[in-house]
Amino acid sequence: MRKVLHIALREFIVTVSNRSFIIGLLVMLALIGLFAVISPHVFNLRDFKVVGDVRIIDPTGVVVPQLNASLDARRIAVRRAEQARVALDSVPAEVRQLAGARGETALQAALGPVPDLRLEERPLQADIQEEKTWLTEKNADRPHLALIVVHQNAVTLDPGELRYGTFDLFVAPNLDDRAENEIQQSVRDALINARGDAQSLNRERINAIIQVPRVHSVTVTVGDERATVRGLNIALPLSVAALLFVGVMTGGQALLTTTVEEKSNRVIEVLLSAVSPMELMAGKLIGQMAVSLLVLGLYIGLGLTVLTSLSLFGLFNPWLIVYMLIFFVIMYLVFGSLMMAVGSAVNEMREAQGLMMPLMIMQIIPWILWLPISRNPNSMLSVFMSFLPPVNTFGMLLRMASSAPPPWWQVWLSIGIGVASVFVAIWFAAKVFRIGLLMYGKPPNLATLIRWARSA
Amino acid sequence: MEAAILLKGVTKSFGRTKAVDNLDLAIPRGALYGFIGPNGAGKTTSIRMIMSILFPDAGEVSVLGNRSATEAKDRIGYLPEERGLYRKMRVGAFLAYMGRLKGLHETGLHKRVEKSLESVGLGGAGRKRCEELSKGMMQKVQFLAATIHKPDLLILDEPFSGLDPVSSRLLRELVLAEHSRGATILFSTHVMPHAEELCDSVIMMHRGRKVLEERMETIRRQYDPRRIHFEPLDPIADVSSLNALPEVECVARMDESYEILLKEGMEPAQVMRHIVQTVVPARMELARPQLEDVFISLVSAGDKIDDTPEKLRARLTESPAEAPAV
Repeated sequence: MRKVLHIALREFIVTVSNRSFIIGLLVMLALIGLFAVISPHVFNLRDFKVVGDVRIIDPTGVVVPQLNASLDARRIAVRRAEQARVALDSVPAEVRQLAGARGETALQAALGPVPDLRLEERPLQADIQEEKTWLTEKNADRPHLALIVVHQNAVTLDPGELRYGTFDLFVAPNLDDRAENEIQQSVRDALINARGDAQSLNRERINAIIQVPRVHSVTVTVGDERATVRGLNIALPLSVAALLFVGVMTGGQALLTTTVEEKSNRVIEVLLSAVSPMELMAGKLIGQMAVSLLVLGLYIGLGLTVLTSLSLFGLFNPWLIVYMLIFFVIMYLVFGSLMMAVGSAVNEMREAQGLMMPLMIMQIIPWILWLPISRNPNSMLSVFMSFLPPVNTFGMLLRMASSAPPPWWQVWLSIGIGVASVFVAIWFAAKVFRIGLLMYGKPPNLATLIRWARSA
Repeated sequence: MEAAILLKGVTKSFGRTKAVDNLDLAIPRGALYGFIGPNGAGKTTSIRMIMSILFPDAGEVSVLGNRSATEAKDRIGYLPEERGLYRKMRVGAFLAYMGRLKGLHETGLHKRVEKSLESVGLGGAGRKRCEELSKGMMQKVQFLAATIHKPDLLILDEPFSGLDPVSSRLLRELVLAEHSRGATILFSTHVMPHAEELCDSVIMMHRGRKVLEERMETIRRQYDPRRIHFEPLDPIADVSSLNALPEVECVARMDESYEILLKEGMEPAQVMRHIVQTVVPARMELARPQLEDVFISLVSAGDKIDDTPEKLRARLTESPAEAPAV
């Protein structure tokens, strides 16, 4: 055991002191931090102001006044305040509390400055083709943004009809979608008001009648109930799966490359004079697992720090970390030992590509199935994937992090299957490892590896 | 005395190729054994089985009184034919790592590493990375890695392959030093003069089979010299009188000299005295039996051998890289 630990310690130290590892880790963390800091600036709308002229042909004669009112800066501000309120309503209570009174202001600010749109009414007999040409004319001060042609029956119903007409919208080339949204929303608002007036209906009263705000659902589980968090239900499984993937890939890839390196350096037989192939394999597996756990620990620690600092830790089930670590160990041992077996069978990295393909596919499958499993964690597919090794670890973890976690016996059955798959993978890898380490020359194919495992 | 290495009926096949066939071997403790034979004879496979890197299909292996080398790895030093170093690792760290894997404790380990480096003229090289060393220096470090723990048994697989004469001499001295310390040494080589210089016993292998296991003295005695190379002082001297000597079988001309073949059982010293009395020599020497000749005579005499002596001699001189992998 002491020798295994010596090998593990060397693997760990050599890997974490490697310049590319340090740079890779730091760069990754820096990129995440940078993204968190600059993304609000990159993706915000604060600097975007819709400015320009809009022409309208209104055969009803009642839409223009409404649209003028709708495009009024104060009216837009009120509308935005309502949008912010609805948006805040849909986020978790913890976020609302954290945001407090600043949340609404911040959301409004995020929507950017109030647009400066000037409406110009055109006569009914205006030639539409000519009006369209106006859209292509250049005007640096006030760009020509759009032409609205209101339908004749947009405000009053034709006899025998149950559907109102709407409007046609022609826009200038390269019009920003945010400007178009602003125009569309304003026209919609104006049409509703005009229709209400035509029916002598009070808009406020109609709004009050049709308004049933979305309530916060409560997820009821056996012995527990808590507020449903939809966004987290999507984000959490994805984050957990990503962490698992990063951890396994970090260790697995290192195992592959160091084994190939030791074999091509011809240092492997020197090592085998001091330790058995199983001791060597175990030492390397443990050493790289420690490296992966270090990486995982850093990412998990960073994530938890962010959640805690945002007072969102309550949304997270800490047991999920424990299960994630259990599933990580299972998955790491399966993929790590198989990748090491591949490394022992080839002479250089280039030759490993063909043998790595099945392993890469197995690691990509959960990403393909992430959405269906997260959306429907108790479907036949989800249950099947959570018991099918070696992807059962991903599958079960996705289900556990979803809104409807599986019963505990399914979790432990999946862990049991995972542990069994670890034994099978290590058995197979050890057989291939023992033969492959001393084999040079033509790289073997998958069938040869299986033959080695059966003959060793 | 208990054997350091004991093999009984060991057989190993790779596919349809029998690499080692029913090998029996007993190497006593403290011996310096040469494992000789052409490339592909089964030497490396045998050594790997002794080291428990490969496992025999049949037969028993016992090393230092244990049922396998796995149980005695800390008492064995092994320098494989295909040997390497961690190129980015520092020399001192590499030797310390190998020492730890061989069961050495931390106490005094670094001092031991420094001392061993000094003993081969590499004092101060401990901080260098392995990739910074010259080939000769690397080979010294590889030898130190195999002996850092002062093993009871040292197994060297083709230790002289690829070495220049200076490095060869140094390695020979290091091997002898280990032997004089009391270590049992087994080394394989396809270059028979190396074995002749170093070993007190040899095992000859051919096509996976042992064709000879004997002490060098016995070989020299058994394959006693029956040839004398003779060059007369007077180039035109009549040497036909030598044919008349009762101990002489025949005399054959070889360029400027002659080869005198003695009758079986004749004492060379006495014959040489008679020759000097018959024709005055400019040079006369006893042709010592070469292991290569012994090997070829043994192998050629085998029942089912299809190699000609010329082919065998060629295989004994080819480098391991040219040899088919076993």
